[in-house]
Amino acid sequence: MFFRMIRGVFLRQWKKLLMIALTIALGASLATAMLNVMLDVEDKVNQELKTYGANITVVPKSQSVLSDLYEVEDGSSGQGAYLLEEELGNIKTIFWAFNIVDFSPFIDTQVALDDGSTLTVVGTWFNHHMDLPTGETLDTGVKNLRTWWDITSGAWLDEQVDSDPSACMIGTAVAAQTGAGVGDTLHVSTKYGSTDLRVVAVYDAGGDEDGQIYAPMQTVQELSNTDGYLTSIEVSALTTPDNELAIKAAKDPSSLSIAQYETWYCTAYVSSICYQIQEVITDSVASPVRQVADSEGAILDKTKLLMVLITMLSLVGAALGITNLVTASVMERSQEIGLMKAVGATDRAVSALVLTQMILTGIVGAVIGYFAGFGFAQIIGRTVFSSAIDMKPMVIPIVGILVVAVTLAGSIPAIRMLLRLRPAEVLHGR
Amino acid sequence: MTKQKMFLKMIAASLVRRRSRMLVALLAIAVGATILSGLVTIYYDVPRQMGAQFRNYGANMIFVASGNDAVFDLDTVNQGAAVIPESELLGVTPYRYESVMIHEQPIMAAGTDFAGAKVTSPYWYIDGKWPEKSGEALLGEEVADKLGLSIGDVFNVTCKSGEETDETVIDDGLDMTVAGILNTGGSEEQYIYVDLSDLEALAGPTLKLDVAELSISADQDTLKTYISEIETDTPDIAPRLVKRVTQSESTVLTKLQALVFLVTVVVLLLTMICVATTMTAVVTERRREIGLRKALGASDMEIIGEFMGEGLLLGGVGGILGSILGFVFAQFVSVHVFSSSITFQPLLLPVTIIVSILVTGLACLLPVRSATDVDPALVLKGE
Repeated sequence: MFFRMIRGVFLRQWKKLLMIALTIALGASLATAMLNVMLDVEDKVNQELKTYGANITVVPKSQSVLSDLYEVEDGSSGQGAYLLEEELGNIKTIFWAFNIVDFSPFIDTQVALDDGSTLTVVGTWFNHHMDLPTGETLDTGVKNLRTWWDITSGAWLDEQVDSDPSACMIGTAVAAQTGAGVGDTLHVSTKYGSTDLRVVAVYDAGGDEDGQIYAPMQTVQELSNTDGYLTSIEVSALTTPDNELAIKAAKDPSSLSIAQYETWYCTAYVSSICYQIQEVITDSVASPVRQVADSEGAILDKTKLLMVLITMLSLVGAALGITNLVTASVMERSQEIGLMKAVGATDRAVSALVLTQMILTGIVGAVIGYFAGFGFAQIIGRTVFSSAIDMKPMVIPIVGILVVAVTLAGSIPAIRMLLRLRPAEVLHGR
Repeated sequence: MTKQKMFLKMIAASLVRRRSRMLVALLAIAVGATILSGLVTIYYDVPRQMGAQFRNYGANMIFVASGNDAVFDLDTVNQGAAVIPESELLGVTPYRYESVMIHEQPIMAAGTDFAGAKVTSPYWYIDGKWPEKSGEALLGEEVADKLGLSIGDVFNVTCKSGEETDETVIDDGLDMTVAGILNTGGSEEQYIYVDLSDLEALAGPTLKLDVAELSISADQDTLKTYISEIETDTPDIAPRLVKRVTQSESTVLTKLQALVFLVTVVVLLLTMICVATTMTAVVTERRREIGLRKALGASDMEIIGEFMGEGLLLGGVGGILGSILGFVFAQFVSVHVFSSSITFQPLLLPVTIIVSILVTGLACLLPVRSATDVDPALVLKGE
């Protein structure tokens, strides 16, 4: 009988119930969209912040500060002041390998031009193709780490298409000094040899790099007689903002308890990623670039908090909207409930009937709303970040519980109020 | 009793008699209006507030001397910085680099203004504390390691410049205390930082600076106009944009703004529909009343007018409530997320009220019109 009555309501009053389901669907889609966006916003903004370039630099342990400060001729500091090129692939094997977005090796040397002036030539990867031991492939290099460079003429050096080892890119200051442009060649020499570099692009970096030449790594290693060696590695990694634990660990990982150490090691703090890089690269010191790492942390935290608060407001809005409508639609059925009571239905039976209908409607609405909301989240993701928003399984129970709770919260007070009325009065039409 | 008076009386009576139902509708409208005014306020304020966060990346403009014989001292820098409105200029920090000797080892020393450096380099991580008075220095981590100095140690600094010795240079150097150790992960760790006056005492008051860093809260295009203004006003200065910071900032900020914008649009759209369905439900359940009025001889226009009057009143009251609550919400968000208060957008008040009246009015109009089309006898009979 109970089921027949429920079915009866759905068949006879489907228009009304459809409207309730639609409103619930709207609320649920709002909740789904906001929750999905909120849970994914950290990853997405983190990706965007990669335009600031590397947040970790790796240098040899015994790197002398001499060359930096006094421009002492390079190549004289001897072995041990370099990182090994063959270990580069190890960076993609650390615990947080998945979070390493880009990295690029650097080797630099001083060269003399024909007119006697000296310049720094930086050897690096532009868009190097790597086959990793894990079977994955990766294209990485300075093209991704120097997004703020403006190419004033020519185009980015493409290692994969143009494998010519004499291609190079020069800064605007070098272009002005030498008068060289795209297509010209520069003759550079060191005490180990000399070569002709063909300019394929002129870049404007708005910094010291404008006075440098960027060339393929192999070329510069030959020029400086440092085959297989690197002076530094820049790594761009997705990180979690630092907290107390990370700050403590960064100072001295051995000061942590075992449990703390494990938490720290297994969280993508910039300090733990640095620590793991040091483990796989011999004699290296990996340190966070504070300018980038700290600012990323601050911006991520703020963005997340902002989205959490906006989401809360939308959830409250959605909840109140649903409650209102459910209350209104239950109140509307006073006559029907009065009639049921008049023919002898118990309070329990009436409540069970109305609640079941409401919850069934709610579930239908929630399912429609979930998919619609997921669509809205995708629209936001595609438009803003040009990538899909991840489907978070935890959103499903949250939305489910929200809808059921809100439907109950909307129905129960209304039902209680209706049950208090006397059937005769209700039927009479008061 | 005039017609208008009767109209007002009927609306008032309807609102009073059906208090609970009307409260429900009012609540729905107020929540919708709160979301509207709250989110729009946040949307307008996000670029400003987020822009301030992006200043964590440090200086976005630097001044250098335009030529070898250009006058580039503190006054010139301040004169150049005067072009930028005070509200946008967060900090100016001068730097002067000199090579000094510590423990017989050559070290690069930077003379600066620490109050300014705190603002233009907020990412500097200091172990110990910032130098507060003259005689205190900040050591880069590499320098500290190399010299074996730690916080609180006293060391002697001499200036090695021999060629332009004048009387003011202290021959036996200056004793300085290590106030803090600087960690940045960059080349700053290879320098020691002292107050500008200390460096002048050591290396002589040449008054010439090497570079000045500026942190300005403005977008890339505004910065470019400042640069051309400074170039014409103060020819001794060559201002430059720190491209890495400005370019990336505009990329990320545009994305963030677009995010908040889209979220606002989606939330508003759904909220408006929610408000509309609630109003529709509230009106639809009064079909019997409409039927009764028609039976008593009311014209369709009168009925529509009355319902609209009710709807507009609700919309107006809900709009006002919502504007206030929305501002409170935006203020709450701003204080908790950005720890600064929000600017009130006066234009938003009428807009919120008008939008809520429009939405409510529209949501009432459709069901009322369909209800008035019905034959009163049928409605009253209960079909």
